[in-house]
Amino acid sequence: MAQSNLAAATPPAPGAAKAPRQAATALKLAAGKIGAFLFTVFVSSVIVFFSRWLVPGDPINFLLRGRSPNPEAIAEVTAIYGLDRPPLEQYWNWITGVVQGDFGRSLQYRQDVTEVILGRLPVTLGLVVMAGVMIAILGLAAGIAASLLRGTFADRAIVASMSGLAAIPSFVGAIVLIAIFAVQLGLFPSFGSGNGFADMLYHLVLPSLALALSFIAVVGRVTRSAMVEQFAREHVEVARSRGITPVAVVIRHVLRNATGPILTVSGLLVAGLLVSSAIVEQAFGLAGLGSLLVSSVDRLDFPVVQAIVLIVVTAFVAINTLVDLLGPVIDPRLKAGEGAR
Amino acid sequence: MKILDIKELSIRVAAAAAPPLQLLEKVSMHIERGETVALVGESGSGKSLTARAVLGLLPSAAQVTGDIDLGGLAVLKASGAQLRAMRRGRAAMVFQDPRSSINPVRTLGAHLIEPMMQVPGANKAMLEARAVELLASMGLSNPEARMKQYPHELSGGMLQRVMIAGALMNDPELLICDESTTALDVTTQAAVIRLLSRAVSERSMGMLFITHDLALAASIADRTYVLRHGVLQEHGVTRQVFERPVSEYTQQLVAATPGMRSAPRSGSQPSGSAGAPVLSVENVSKTYQLRGQPPVRALKSVSLAIPAGGGLAIVGESGSGKSTLGRIVAGLEHADSGEITLAGGAITGGSARERRLKTASRVQMVFQDPYQSLDSRLTPAKALAAVLKLHYRLDAKAMRARIGQLLESVGLEERHANLYPRKLSGGQRQRVAIAKAMALNPRLLVLDEATSALDVSVQAQVLELVNKLRKDSGVAVLFISHDLAIVGEICDELLVVQDGAIVESGPTRAVLGNPQHPYTQTLLASVPRPRWETDPGAGTDPDPRHGDLEPARNNRS
Repeated sequence: MAQSNLAAATPPAPGAAKAPRQAATALKLAAGKIGAFLFTVFVSSVIVFFSRWLVPGDPINFLLRGRSPNPEAIAEVTAIYGLDRPPLEQYWNWITGVVQGDFGRSLQYRQDVTEVILGRLPVTLGLVVMAGVMIAILGLAAGIAASLLRGTFADRAIVASMSGLAAIPSFVGAIVLIAIFAVQLGLFPSFGSGNGFADMLYHLVLPSLALALSFIAVVGRVTRSAMVEQFAREHVEVARSRGITPVAVVIRHVLRNATGPILTVSGLLVAGLLVSSAIVEQAFGLAGLGSLLVSSVDRLDFPVVQAIVLIVVTAFVAINTLVDLLGPVIDPRLKAGEGAR
Repeated sequence: MKILDIKELSIRVAAAAAPPLQLLEKVSMHIERGETVALVGESGSGKSLTARAVLGLLPSAAQVTGDIDLGGLAVLKASGAQLRAMRRGRAAMVFQDPRSSINPVRTLGAHLIEPMMQVPGANKAMLEARAVELLASMGLSNPEARMKQYPHELSGGMLQRVMIAGALMNDPELLICDESTTALDVTTQAAVIRLLSRAVSERSMGMLFITHDLALAASIADRTYVLRHGVLQEHGVTRQVFERPVSEYTQQLVAATPGMRSAPRSGSQPSGSAGAPVLSVENVSKTYQLRGQPPVRALKSVSLAIPAGGGLAIVGESGSGKSTLGRIVAGLEHADSGEITLAGGAITGGSARERRLKTASRVQMVFQDPYQSLDSRLTPAKALAAVLKLHYRLDAKAMRARIGQLLESVGLEERHANLYPRKLSGGQRQRVAIAKAMALNPRLLVLDEATSALDVSVQAQVLELVNKLRKDSGVAVLFISHDLAIVGEICDELLVVQDGAIVESGPTRAVLGNPQHPYTQTLLASVPRPRWETDPGAGTDPDPRHGDLEPARNNRS
């Protein structure tokens, strides 16, 4: 009697028809996100390209600096850079080149923009990646420690010092770090990017730390609040009631469930990281993309400016699209769409 | 043989700048092998705390004295590792809400085998095989596939079966159920209760069944302990506790429990007058369309009418569309098709704001959870003033008088008028919510599970209040509930809804006394009843250690 009632009360199990439908939904969601990514990059390329017309100053004057403004020379330069074409055609020529990796020619270096950028890229990439690793390790560690010690004096001390760190601009952090580690202790170099890979990493330690400081604080605080929120969840107590060890409870039931918000915030931080890297590069005299961008803006070298801005925007949107795509992997409830919660 | 022996357990927590809070005082209880013991009490009685103490899950701030012996392990003196080993093997707990007690981002299989995987030398394949077997014995179809599913893919009832399977993974000697069926629909609750009693008798475990629902305790427990404010009031064989309660408190509880008290109070119930209906609903349908999912037909051509001053109950399980109907009647949602007519003619013309105010003055709604439905920053006086200001022009004196009168009509005193909701009890909060609803003298009151979140004694008082308001002001009541046991107390007419359609309707007593539709019959059969009524052999044995309980229980299942 009980048996038959139970069977009747149980809805049908996951049928064969359900799995493909779910897979199709997941694929559709992913395709939508990638489509949105491409659209965003396209729109930003339009804005980046046409914003040149909003900037005061004429690149031709820069090109001809020091020479007599003779009309023939102006005409020649205009023709070389295609400045006499209608704007839409100029955009078309530019964007088709960009897709093939050709960003045009730099006005100040008289070189292909791609070459100029590739020469500067390793330093910036090394700086951002190293800072990213520091942010991930130190930020997560601080946040996890604070959440484990929640409510204690140590927790309040960590939170307070993170609030302080978040308020320090990166150039101030850079100066302090140089004063302590380079001048006083002499542990790390304070200038230049060194020769060779290992030496470059060594030269990048202080700049990366200066860049990472305020972001460590932000990630630390997000980690702490996401973890504290999870600690209060009933399933965590259930896990404890089932004899799971404290370490496993923290890793599998708290940290695991807190990754969603941590990743989302981290993705948004990337924009700030790329912008701040320009400041840090100036402070430490690093020949990276940031300092290139600053000098190019100064000299109205618009092909370089456009290329760097487009690369930064694309990197930012790409990372956040990736975070979005990771969502369903982290939280299976997202797979079934919004209605399933 | 005693599996659990609690001796003079006292728990208190130190509060800053206040005398320490005594949460549990000298509670002694024991559980034998194969025995089901109920621990009943209202919220704040300390029953969940007792369960957590048994598993050694108390926060470190708690000062604990006494002794807990769990099959030879002195829980209060045990080390962390000993406690974890005990929780993995000897004692397991099933919590109230399966949806929140299982990690939403891990598969059910991972959940089931997790504790046993912590034991050195665990064999994953063997554990998984065992988990599959247990899922099957819990009546879940396709257990292998379930192992790879996530919690959100299962219904609450199915998830609770998974939780029970998880608790049984290592053959515990003691199973603790803390309100484990409270969040489930009544038919699901009945099925889960059957599973639990079968598991107890098959494994000769002990079960500590914690509940606020006396009828449920009476339906499952051999012995019962009654707890109030951390002090045991009474204990003994379940039937004796409920039929001949010794303590005054237990007598009150029994008297307040619908279905357990001997004489239903429906005699005092006012009945509706004939004449034009205060509400008529004709062929109302509503369909929800969620993105990427098949449409949900919440209401399928539903019709009903309530006479002025009448009372109509709508009963159904979760997802039956009963709340949608209430919200449509109250103007919070719009029907896709059909007619809703409130007494006083159609509301047309005027601005949207005027139409809204007119609707609000005719029909008002009271929600389930007064902790959420009241603004925590508004005192009752301010909340009522806000409502009154919207609709009437009253000078300060008249306003004060009206507020005082409203509070009095719902049984609150003047001193409550200026207290913030957090200082009010659940019952008092619900009274404030009802006062707010009555402030405009509506013709119709929609009560959506308005007593479900309240303790049983408070529930009885609020039901009495609603009946009194009906008599005094002639307001009609639409009472939406999942609880068949209480609808008889308040409403003369009853509608049973299933999957958005009315399956049965009629006078409450007739429907409950002689249900026609199979669904109504199933619902009624699922209402927990004392064991001694369904099974005359059980519960009479004064000493549950005698073995003849188990055959008796097998007969039942």
